[in-house]
Amino acid sequence: MNLLPWSIYLTMAGALLALAGGRRSAGTARWIALLTAAGTWILTLLAATRFVPGPGLQTLVDVPWIPAMGVRYHLAVDGISLTLLVLTGLASTAGVLFSWNIEERTGEFFALFLTLVAGVYGVFLSADALLFFVFYEIAIVPKYFLIAAWGSTNREYGAMKLALYSFAGSAMVLAGLLWVYACGGAHGFSFGQLTHAAATLSRPGQIVVFALVFFGFATLAGLFPLHTWAPTGHVAAPTGASMLLAGVVMKLGAYGCLRVALPLSPVAFAYWQTPIAWLAVTGIVYAGLVALMEQDLKFVIGYSSVSHMGFVMLGLAAANPRAVSGAVLQMFSHGVIAGLLFAVVGRMVYDRTHTRQLGDLRRMKLYRLVPFATTMFVIAGVASMGLPGFSGFPAELTILIGTWTAAPLWAAVATVGVLIAAAFTLRAIQLGFFGSTGPSSASATDGPGLHAGSAPHLSPITWPEKAGALLLVGATVVVGLKPDLLLDWINPALQSPLLQAVLKGGAP
Amino acid sequence: MTPVQQALLILLLPLASAAFIALFLRRAGGLASAISVAACAGLAALSLALVFGGERNFPASWEWLRLGGFSLSLGFKFDDLAALMLAIVAVVGLCVHVFSLGYMHDDGAKARYFGGLSVFMFSMLGIVFADNLFMMFIFWELVGFSSYLLINHYCEKQSAADAAKKAFIVNRVGDFGFLLGIVMCYWLNGTVNLTELAAHHVYTTWVPLLLFCGAVGKSAQLPLHVWLPDAMEGPTPVSALIHAATMVAAGIYMLCRIEPLMTPQALTVIMWTGTATALYAALCAITQRDIKKVLAYSTLSQLGYMVAAFGLGSLLSEQGEHRMLVAAGVGAAMFHLTTHAFFKALMFLGSGSVIYGCHHEQDIFKMGGLKSKMPLTFAAFTIGVLAIIGMPYIAAGFFSKDAILHLALEKNTAVFAILAFTAVLTSFYMVRLWILVFLGTPRSDEASHAHEGGLTMKLPLILLAVLSVLGGYTALYGHTFDGVWSLIPHAEGATILVISLGVMIAGGGTALMLYKPAGSDALEQKAPGLFGVLVALKESFDAVYNYYVAKIQQRFAILLNFLEQVALAGLIIRGFSGLVGLFGIGARALHVGSLHAYVYWFLIGVVVLWAYAAGVF
Repeated sequence: MNLLPWSIYLTMAGALLALAGGRRSAGTARWIALLTAAGTWILTLLAATRFVPGPGLQTLVDVPWIPAMGVRYHLAVDGISLTLLVLTGLASTAGVLFSWNIEERTGEFFALFLTLVAGVYGVFLSADALLFFVFYEIAIVPKYFLIAAWGSTNREYGAMKLALYSFAGSAMVLAGLLWVYACGGAHGFSFGQLTHAAATLSRPGQIVVFALVFFGFATLAGLFPLHTWAPTGHVAAPTGASMLLAGVVMKLGAYGCLRVALPLSPVAFAYWQTPIAWLAVTGIVYAGLVALMEQDLKFVIGYSSVSHMGFVMLGLAAANPRAVSGAVLQMFSHGVIAGLLFAVVGRMVYDRTHTRQLGDLRRMKLYRLVPFATTMFVIAGVASMGLPGFSGFPAELTILIGTWTAAPLWAAVATVGVLIAAAFTLRAIQLGFFGSTGPSSASATDGPGLHAGSAPHLSPITWPEKAGALLLVGATVVVGLKPDLLLDWINPALQSPLLQAVLKGGAP
Repeated sequence: MTPVQQALLILLLPLASAAFIALFLRRAGGLASAISVAACAGLAALSLALVFGGERNFPASWEWLRLGGFSLSLGFKFDDLAALMLAIVAVVGLCVHVFSLGYMHDDGAKARYFGGLSVFMFSMLGIVFADNLFMMFIFWELVGFSSYLLINHYCEKQSAADAAKKAFIVNRVGDFGFLLGIVMCYWLNGTVNLTELAAHHVYTTWVPLLLFCGAVGKSAQLPLHVWLPDAMEGPTPVSALIHAATMVAAGIYMLCRIEPLMTPQALTVIMWTGTATALYAALCAITQRDIKKVLAYSTLSQLGYMVAAFGLGSLLSEQGEHRMLVAAGVGAAMFHLTTHAFFKALMFLGSGSVIYGCHHEQDIFKMGGLKSKMPLTFAAFTIGVLAIIGMPYIAAGFFSKDAILHLALEKNTAVFAILAFTAVLTSFYMVRLWILVFLGTPRSDEASHAHEGGLTMKLPLILLAVLSVLGGYTALYGHTFDGVWSLIPHAEGATILVISLGVMIAGGGTALMLYKPAGSDALEQKAPGLFGVLVALKESFDAVYNYYVAKIQQRFAILLNFLEQVALAGLIIRGFSGLVGLFGIGARALHVGSLHAYVYWFLIGVVVLWAYAAGVF
C-alpha cells in the first residue's frame, strides 16, 4: 500500500528530468513526461487493486515535520482520495498526450505540467491541513506560467485572473485554518484536531471560519459567483493545461470543501447549508444559460464545466451519504468528460482550424474533415448531457436522488440544469461539427482560408490524440456501465466519524 | 436456452450489431445494412419464439448501482403486456429493416443509418423488458437519442438538424417530469421496481402525474406534441418504426406499466390530455399538403385516442355473483396500440413507397393517379386507410376503436362525443389523402414516372397489410396475450357498431363529395375562413414556443451573458484591479525619488507616531 506516496516523488522527479531532457530535444522531454504520467497512473491503479475500502484515512507516511507547531508530514488515503488519485493519473496521462505538439520550450512546459500534477497528488494524499495547503499552493503556481507562456486567446488576462482568484481563495483558507489553530488551541493540523479546536470557538466565530475555508476552496471549484476565473482561464490555457484545470484542479477545490471545510464545524455548516445549495443550483442553471449564448466553442465548454461542477457542490451541500457519494463520482466523471471536450476543441479542432468561433466552424462542416474528432466530441457531448451508459448519468442521478431527500426543490431546479445542458451541448455539436445552411451563413464572409466548395486541408489526427481520446472515452464508459467500481471505494469512506458528524441520514 | 438467456440475447443482438457497425463498418454501407437486418431478423425470430413459447415472469435481475442500503438494478419483467409489446416491436422492426434495404439503397451514409436503427432496436427492447422505472428511464433516454440520430440523418439539411434538436429537447422537457416522478416515487416507496410497486405503494396523485410527463413527451401529447410533425424530416422508414409504431407508443406502454399507481384525479388529467390531443391533431391533419405530415398528425391523433382510453380507467364488471374492477383502459389502449402499430407502419411504409416511386416528391397535390402506377402500394395503403377509419370487420382498426368508443360511452359522454367527432375527422382527412394520392391522373412529372419499389419494399407492405386485416381478431393469437386481451371492454348490442359506422360514413362521404383529384385544396377554395382557422390552430403552439424561446429565454440568456461579461467579469473584477491600480498609482506618487521628500515623509511619520504614543488621538 505504500506505493502511493511515490506518485508525488516520481512526478517531481519526472518534472526535473523533463526539464533536463528538454535541453537535448523536445522528443526526449515528451517521452519522459509520458512515461512519468503513465507510470504514475499505473502505480495508482496498482495501489487501487490492493486497496481495502474502509472508513477513515489509512495512513501511508506519518513523520513530524514542524514539531513546534505540531505539523506532520502525514500522507493517507481513503476511497474518496483514491478515486481522485486515479483520475489525476488518467487526466495527466491524457494531458501529456494532447500536449504532444508543444514545440516551444517543451522541457519547461512538461516540467511545469508535472509539477502541477505532483502538487495535485500531494493534495489528495495529505492528511494534515497545513501539508494539504502547501501542496495546494504547489499546484496553483505552475498554472499561471503554463497559461501565460503557452496559452492562447487573451492569455495574460486569463492567467492573471486565475492566479488572483486562486491566491485569494487560498489566502482565505489559510486565514481560516490559522484562526482555528490559534484561537481554538489546537496542537496540530490534522483534520480531527482542527475539528476539535473549531468546536471550542463561539458560534459566530465558527460561522466566519467555516465561510473562510469553504468559500476559499469553493473558489477553485467554480462555485457561482466565484466562478469567473474558470471560463477565461480554460480558454486561455493550452490544451493540456485546460484539461488539467477542468479535469483535476477544479476538483482540488471541491475536494478541499469535502475534506477540510465540511467536517470543520457541523454547527457552521448547518448555518451555511442552504445558501451554498442555492449558489450551487443557481450556478448550474446560470452557467448553462450563458453557455447557450456563447459564440466561442471553448467558452461553451468552459461554462458547461461550471454548470457541471455546480452538481458537485450541490451534492456536497445536500450533505447526505448518497448525495456526497454522487458528488465524488461526478468529480471523477466531469474530470474525464471535460478533459475530453477540451482536448477535442483545443487540440483536434483549434490547432488545425485556428478558430473556435461557432460562426466560422459551422461553415466548415468538420464532420467531413475530421470525423474522428467529431465522433469523440459527440461521445463526450452525449456523456456530458448525462445519457445512460456514460459516467455522468449515475453521478448526476445519484446527486439528484440524494438532493431530493434533503430538499426536493433543489433537485427540481437542478434538473432544469440537466435540460439546459442538453440544449447547449446539442447546439455546440450541431454548429461546431455538423454545420448548417442557415440563413446567416449565406451573408457571412468565409472563414480564414476557407472558400465555398474547396474543403480546407486539415492535418490528420495523430496517434497521441487518438490514444488520449480513447483512454478518456474508455474511462467514462467503464464507470458509466459499472459505477460500483468507484462507489465501492467511496461509500465506506463516508462512514468516517469526521464525515458522519456532518452527513445526516446515518448509514447510507 | 433458458428464457432469461433468450431475452438477454434478444436485447444484446442489436447492440452487438450497432457496436460492430460503429467500430468496423463505418465506410461499408452494404455490409452494415446486411448485419443490421440479420441482427433484426435474429431477434425477431427469438422474440416470437419467446413470446409464443409461453414462458412468463421468469426472474432476472442484476444489480447495477449500489447506493448504500439501496441498489438500482437492471432486470426483466416479462408478462403478457411485455410479450405483446415485444412481438409488435420485433415484427414492425423487421419489416422496417427490410424495407430500408430498398428505400435507403442509394444513401451515402447507409452505415450510420443502419447503425442508428440497431441502436434504436436495442433501446426500445430495453423499455419493453424493463422491470423497474429506473431502467425504463435509462432506455427511455437512449431511444430519445437514437431518435435524434435518425431524424438528423440528412444532417446537411438545416430543417432536419433543427427538427432533431427540437425532438430531443422537447422530449427532455417531458423527461424532466419523468425523472422527478421516479425520484419522488423512490423517495416515497423505497423502490422503483414495478412488481413491488404494484403490490404496495403510497397513494398520491403527484407520482403518476409526474411520470405521465414522460409519456406526454415521448407520445407527443399536448402541449409537447410539436416535435413529432417536424420529426418527419427523418427518412420515411424511420418515421414508420420510431415515430408511428413503436417509440411514440412507448409512452402508452409505460402508462400501462404503472397503472397500479394511478389515482382517479391523475386518470382524469390523462383522459382529457389524450382527448384534446386526439381532436387537435385531427383538425391539424385536414390542412396538410405533405403526405408524411398528414400521417404524422394522424399518429398524434391516434396516440391521443390511446391515452384517452387509458385515462378512462376501469370498468365495473359483473360476472355472476362477482363484481370486480377491470382495468379496461389498459386493455383498450394496448389493443389500439397493437392495431395502430400495424396499420400506421403499413401506411408510412406505403407513403415511403410512394415517395420513393415519385422521386422524393411529398406534396399530395403533385401526386395523383398512382393507383395504376403502383397497384401493390395502392392496395396496401387502401387497407391501411380502411383500418384507420374503422371499416367494420374488414380491418383491424375497427375493433380497437370500438373498444375505446364503448369505454368512453360507459364512462364519460363528453369524451365520447369528442372522440366520435374525431373519428369523423379521421375518416375525412384519410379519404382526402387517399383520393389525392391515388385517384385521377398524375399531376406532376414525378408522379407520372412513378414506379413500384423492389422486392424488399414489397414484402414488408404485404406482411403489414395482412396484419392490419387480421390483427384485430384477438382469438387468432390463442392465449398468448390473455393477460391483456381479457381487459378489453366489449360492447353489447349494436349501438357502438351503428355509431362508428355512422361517423365513418359521415367523414368519408364528405371527403368523397368535396375532394376531386385536383392540384389545389378544395376545402381552401370553398371555405377559406375555416381553412385559415385550422392553419392558425396548427401554427399556434409553435408560435408560442418560438416566442418563448426567441423573446424570453434567448433574451434572458443574452442578458445573463452580458452580465457575466460586463458586470461580473468586467466591472467587479476590473473594479478590484482598478482599486489596486489606484493604490499603486498613489503609492508610486509618494516615491518621487527625491531625498528631501523621503526625509519629510519620515519626519511626518515620526510626528504621527509620537502623537499616538502621547495619546493625542
